[in-house]
Amino acid sequence: MPGEEVLALRKVTFAYEGDIVALRDLNLSVRKGEFVVVLGANGAGKSTLCYLISGIVPHIYGGRRQGHLTLVGIDPWDEPLYVTSQRCGVLMQDPEVQLFMPSLGAELAFGPANLGVPREEILRRSKEALTLVRLEGLEEHNPRDLSGGQKQRAALAAVLTMQPRVLVLDEPTSQLDPLGRWEVGEAIERLKRAGDLAIVMTTHESEEILHLADQVVVLERGEAVLQGSPEEVFSHPDRLERAGVKTPALIQAQSRLVALAPGAAALPSRVSLSLEGVADQIRREVTNRRLTVLPQALPPRQAPAPEAPVVLEARDLTFEYPGPPAVLALQDVNLQWRQGEFVGIVGQNGSGKSTLVRCLVGLLRPGHGDVLFRGKSIRGLSVGEMARRVGLVLQNPDYQLFSASCREEIAFGLRNVGVPDEQIEGAIEQALRTVGLEKQADLFPFRLSFGDRRKLAAAATMALAPEVLIMDEPTTAQDHRGRYQLADLARRFHSEQGGTVVMITHDVDLIARYAHRLIVLYRGQVLLDGPTAEVFAQVEELRKTFVVPPVAGQLAQRLTALGLPPDILTLDELFQVLVPAGIQQRAG
Amino acid sequence: MRPVFRYLPLDTPIHRLHPLVKLAHVLLTLLLVMYPIRQGDLPVLLVWLGFSGVLWAVGRVELRRFTTLLKILTGTFIFLILIQGFTYRFGRTPLIVFGHLRLWEADLGVLTREGVMFGLLLCVRILVATSSLPLFVMTTPASAIMTAMGKLRVPRVATFMFISALSFTTLLFEMWASIVEAQKLRAFDIDRMNVIKRAVRAYIPIITPLILLLFRKANDFQIAMETKGFGAPIEPTEIETLHARPADYLWLALIVGVFVLCTALKFGPWL
Repeated sequence: MPGEEVLALRKVTFAYEGDIVALRDLNLSVRKGEFVVVLGANGAGKSTLCYLISGIVPHIYGGRRQGHLTLVGIDPWDEPLYVTSQRCGVLMQDPEVQLFMPSLGAELAFGPANLGVPREEILRRSKEALTLVRLEGLEEHNPRDLSGGQKQRAALAAVLTMQPRVLVLDEPTSQLDPLGRWEVGEAIERLKRAGDLAIVMTTHESEEILHLADQVVVLERGEAVLQGSPEEVFSHPDRLERAGVKTPALIQAQSRLVALAPGAAALPSRVSLSLEGVADQIRREVTNRRLTVLPQALPPRQAPAPEAPVVLEARDLTFEYPGPPAVLALQDVNLQWRQGEFVGIVGQNGSGKSTLVRCLVGLLRPGHGDVLFRGKSIRGLSVGEMARRVGLVLQNPDYQLFSASCREEIAFGLRNVGVPDEQIEGAIEQALRTVGLEKQADLFPFRLSFGDRRKLAAAATMALAPEVLIMDEPTTAQDHRGRYQLADLARRFHSEQGGTVVMITHDVDLIARYAHRLIVLYRGQVLLDGPTAEVFAQVEELRKTFVVPPVAGQLAQRLTALGLPPDILTLDELFQVLVPAGIQQRAG
Repeated sequence: MRPVFRYLPLDTPIHRLHPLVKLAHVLLTLLLVMYPIRQGDLPVLLVWLGFSGVLWAVGRVELRRFTTLLKILTGTFIFLILIQGFTYRFGRTPLIVFGHLRLWEADLGVLTREGVMFGLLLCVRILVATSSLPLFVMTTPASAIMTAMGKLRVPRVATFMFISALSFTTLLFEMWASIVEAQKLRAFDIDRMNVIKRAVRAYIPIITPLILLLFRKANDFQIAMETKGFGAPIEPTEIETLHARPADYLWLALIVGVFVLCTALKFGPWL
């Protein structure tokens, strides 16, 4: 039973100062209890929509708006922000900047106290919000001591104590690990089920929220190019692709295997949004002989020869952060990386991934054990000297960019390692060409997009010509199109230069696509280590770390009775093995 | 990386103390160090420092936090001792003579005993001045600080700026550490540079990204605060209810008593 309309946008167009149009002719109606998901590539206008609804525009960011916007009886454009904030709460991507009080209790009370809500009511709301996000008993904790998922849930609770009628979530899980995403997703799901709030959420992770969404809006350059129920919207995979939105793997599988032709929006009921539902559809197609299983079509996986020399080794590595309380981050870790390997590392935040790579590049010195580069201990080498051997591309490029131009940014590292001046220019050109930024060579790095800044940071690392390249979360905060740009650089480094790549990520699709070996860390120890497909097959062990195998792999696991190889990892592999019967006959 | 001076949720007499009593300790400390300085002030300052040390111990604040305070101030102390050692105008007893370069009443080529002692006195004064605020912050929850400030009629915006600055310090520490790491990864070995080289070239690659990031974060902070009603023209609610207990009066009497003793020591005929 649909509730009252709490948010309405009628032909809303918005341009930031400088006449940069961010939203164009947008129409949206959201009712109480409804969950609206907004998808789109970076720069499509998702955050601007959040800012418009919550009044951040025009009260913090200026601009010009046309059309009508009504939020629970007011127009946020005309009201001060504290009035809008009583109707609309907003949760942003980065929990760090939303938590500014020294205790969780004070954080939750901050909003309603500003509005003069009576003390007892504030305490009641705080208790209720903490229960909803499952952080009871942590009132006295400093929010900064919480894990990533807990921080974001704390920030959500702090918004909920304002008792908004509309909740705006701007990519709330984009900076979280799988456990954090699950925790926040679960809290959102409970809010949705309670039915008191209308929720508008922007995201790139279309797969995770599909089952919750009542309405999906796809933005492209500020315009809604697709709008409707999830079934209707995801029946247009080609249009989604053009808009830079990832079509959920389940929909891709149906679209390709269950004869759901692109544009078949007239038959939305045929789209299934559950894994079991899609598996059933495929089973039916195979039984009805419309699909044929060709297990032999899966090409053998290539891995470097086992006799390839070991480039990097962690031997009995133990590392403890001093306390109080002391934290044992790594415990007797023994790992080897051979030349030419492409290795993925997964694990929850706090599992020891970052500590491990910091030990590998010499930023941290292990208390026990050693790191060896080509058989020799790195203890005598400085971090700078290690940079020419093992390069680490960090998640946030903004920690390192400081020069006036991209060219200077790359030259900085080269000068530090003592590359002669006459060779520096050539190395800069080469590095910029590698990442496709040669035209931006003289641009101030902070004027680049986030994706390009990451590429520049990678170029600066790769210009030092390391033998091993470590990438930390190359897909973070990237949209579907930009997602694999950095990983592709690593692949080229691997295939063209024969380099060794280590990739830390939470993105199982990335691992499935690139890595032929996967290491799973759990509580500072190696839980699993082996060929990617074999590791992903150990579902029970993986469950401890909240890592879920890729959708294609999960489908293959469910369909082994039909003869599908269980080690399928990507959709491409699935489509190689499951082919329309006619094609096989023609091929035959 | 955690900042060393932040609230420690413990149950000690100092933690239970009324925030205004602790604030009185801070204000009296500041008053004491603002008295005109004289060569013979060292015992006075040491008495107050010792008393503050007792409060630190009763509040179960770890000694390492005091050591950290000393570490932070070491550079300033060395600078003060050297500058006073060479420029103190009442310096008479040479400790080391590098030559003679007279500037008004001082001889810049001579390190004098009196100058070094005066520099030491200034260091103790700074130490006294900086030792009370960390104790206040580490033993008083934010909500209690806000209520106490409210009772003193300090504008809420000013109190909030103080509280959020404490929180922002954490972020600053984390960002600083991340930036140093990021630059080290580009063979920028700041740890292996000498003091002069660091001063000349080390800080631009660290401070530039820090400032740019702070601007960005500050913007996000503003959004987070204002979307939670900060700045509304409404009388805000006080969450913490503060009641004075007999123990608070006793502690206040003790603090004021020690302060009077120090004042008497300073201005009385004994020193």
